[in-house]
Amino acid sequence: MKQKTSPKLLIALILGFIVQGALQRAVIFDLWTKNYNPGKGKLLSNAMSPDQILAVLGGFREITAGILWVKADSFFDQGNYDAILPLIRLVTMLDPNEIDVYATGMWHIGYNFTDEEQRSDRRYIPSALALGKEGTLHNPDTYELFFEEGWMWYHKIDDDYDNAVKWFLKAQERPDMLPARKNLLGMAYQRTGEINKSIDTYYRLYDQSLKQFANEAAFSNHQNRDTLEGNLDNMLVRAVQRGYVAEKDGRPLNGYDVYPPFDVGFSVKATVVEPRVIRFEGTWNVLPVGTRIRAVLRDKDFPGAHGAELEWDARDSVNLDPPKDQTFMQEQLFVKNRRFNKKVDMSKDPTMYPFTKDKYVLEFYYNPRSAPPHIQDKFGWSGQGMTDKNFINTDVRKNQRVVYATLELTKDQILRYGEWVDKTPIAKTANYHESNSDSGSNDDVILKVPSLRSGVGGK
Amino acid sequence: MRPILSIAATTVGEAIRRRVLLVILLIGVLFIVVAPGLGILSARSETTVLRAFMLGVIQGVSMIIAVILTVYMIPNEIERRTIYTILSKPVQRWQFLVGKYLGAVLSLLLMMSMMSAVMGVMFFLQQQSKNPGEIADLLKGPAMYFIQMCLLAAVGIFFSTFLPPLVNFFLSIGVFLVGTFFNPLFQTLQENKNTAPMVKLIAQGVNTFLPNFANYNVQNPIINPTQQIQNEGRYFLGVTVYGVVYISILLIIGILIFDRREV
Repeated sequence: MKQKTSPKLLIALILGFIVQGALQRAVIFDLWTKNYNPGKGKLLSNAMSPDQILAVLGGFREITAGILWVKADSFFDQGNYDAILPLIRLVTMLDPNEIDVYATGMWHIGYNFTDEEQRSDRRYIPSALALGKEGTLHNPDTYELFFEEGWMWYHKIDDDYDNAVKWFLKAQERPDMLPARKNLLGMAYQRTGEINKSIDTYYRLYDQSLKQFANEAAFSNHQNRDTLEGNLDNMLVRAVQRGYVAEKDGRPLNGYDVYPPFDVGFSVKATVVEPRVIRFEGTWNVLPVGTRIRAVLRDKDFPGAHGAELEWDARDSVNLDPPKDQTFMQEQLFVKNRRFNKKVDMSKDPTMYPFTKDKYVLEFYYNPRSAPPHIQDKFGWSGQGMTDKNFINTDVRKNQRVVYATLELTKDQILRYGEWVDKTPIAKTANYHESNSDSGSNDDVILKVPSLRSGVGGK
Repeated sequence: MRPILSIAATTVGEAIRRRVLLVILLIGVLFIVVAPGLGILSARSETTVLRAFMLGVIQGVSMIIAVILTVYMIPNEIERRTIYTILSKPVQRWQFLVGKYLGAVLSLLLMMSMMSAVMGVMFFLQQQSKNPGEIADLLKGPAMYFIQMCLLAAVGIFFSTFLPPLVNFFLSIGVFLVGTFFNPLFQTLQENKNTAPMVKLIAQGVNTFLPNFANYNVQNPIINPTQQIQNEGRYFLGVTVYGVVYISILLIIGILIFDRREV
């Protein structure tokens, strides 16, 4: 049965090899790389079990990612947050086009790592932002991760709002962005102090919403149009009342709500009541509820820390293991009846507050841009209507008037070591006066209700 | 042509009667049926996980079926001596091999169609999708997997002309894994500035001449539909032609070897 090799078969064979090679090199490989390669050429580390690696080699990346994500969800239910991080990282490596995993991962890293008193571990935030940035690089066609990145700046970091604007603008460039989510750009512009851009944004979105409603009289379109109408109305009224229009026209601010500036009378005392437990007490002459003063306790030499914040955007790569030898505590001091009194217990979370350095800085920061509207009505968007005899500051944030004060503590004081075993360490501003009225005991008693607009402190 | 079709039809009949293949198919179908349960378990990614799981099951099960179906084809015929009966009739060896291959491809088509149909139904029931385009998009995956499995079947048939089934089983799966893995590896080597030029050259040679199964892994944009795909039609046409050409190459070499083999 043996036969001689046909020359035609051999020629066909050679031709076949040339054709398939040419197809592979000239047509298929480039398109595959652009469209279908989920990892964009990145090989995985040795962070997976052998069976998972085999599945990845076999091209089953997405199913492996799906199964891992199901596993991560079960850890969510159990509250085992530490176990979720590596899974999230693995899933995003296996399938970088899973937008929801990136979004959930950012939220998880940014929000869910807290101490016993639900204070976020801010050391994770640069990694949350880095994860989002990586997600936007892998998914440039959809708005979602650009929006999530902006939301992290707007809501969680709640500062440096120009970054929120930057990411919201990028999100709006994507055609799939939901109309209702576009409104947030107008809010973000208010917080950067760019009021004209905020008004322009609302006008533009309002015009779009009218067209959308004309095209389709759906309830959501109706609702979006009404929301924008309300936002625009509020914005225009506030722009006039807060003196923005007058200021823009070069007219004096007399008679507008932000004039004369209101003295907030900030003072603070920090008492180390127990090792790693600090009580913050102080004054803030604003009676209407809604003031939250940021208090930060950090290593004096914390890399990149300044003006009661970190260099949030410092990382381009995700690090699931934040610096364990550095301390950065951030808390909000809620003002009631013109005083604040808050005990911050850092004794139960030594990994979050390791206190390994010798010197620490306490920072107190108040920015009217984060304030609720009824307080902004007096203080203005950039603090034009706010002052403080001792702590008004125009340096720590560009083009803003904020209240900023610092105190210092040592490691021995915070841990009550050495000479501080029996002595109570106290750090306070020079203007702090002990008061007989303890805010904790008279929370429900309102003595006077002064008008912020009148400029009378009501003391 | 008639002998080829007869052999193909007989091969399909044999495949359908093989219990091991039916059990594997049944397991695959069961996995697809329970897939919506997995989707519900995953936070915010129900549809993504559902699509990934169902497509992954179809690909995995089809791969096993393709290998098991083909590794025994020639050795079994020789062992049972049925090949003598066939070759004693006016049937050429190449017709026998091509007929066997076509039978394997038709069996694969039958089984993969069944899994794809179940997937379509489950997806429809789970998503209550009124958009037929969504299910059509989902079916692009199995369509490409079918060509991938035809290529794998050709590898299996090719090896079965000169290797025993057990060796063939592992070798075929090995070629599949290497062929799947090589595209990302090749891309990494090409982009890495530290890779030696000789290594790059060898990688380029291997990537050009080994069967490239990764070309058919098009599931990522199906699972994550927010991605924009460029020149999809051109790509699908390219990989289909590639598959047909490569299958032809493997069958021709298989025929050349089989022609020289003492049976």
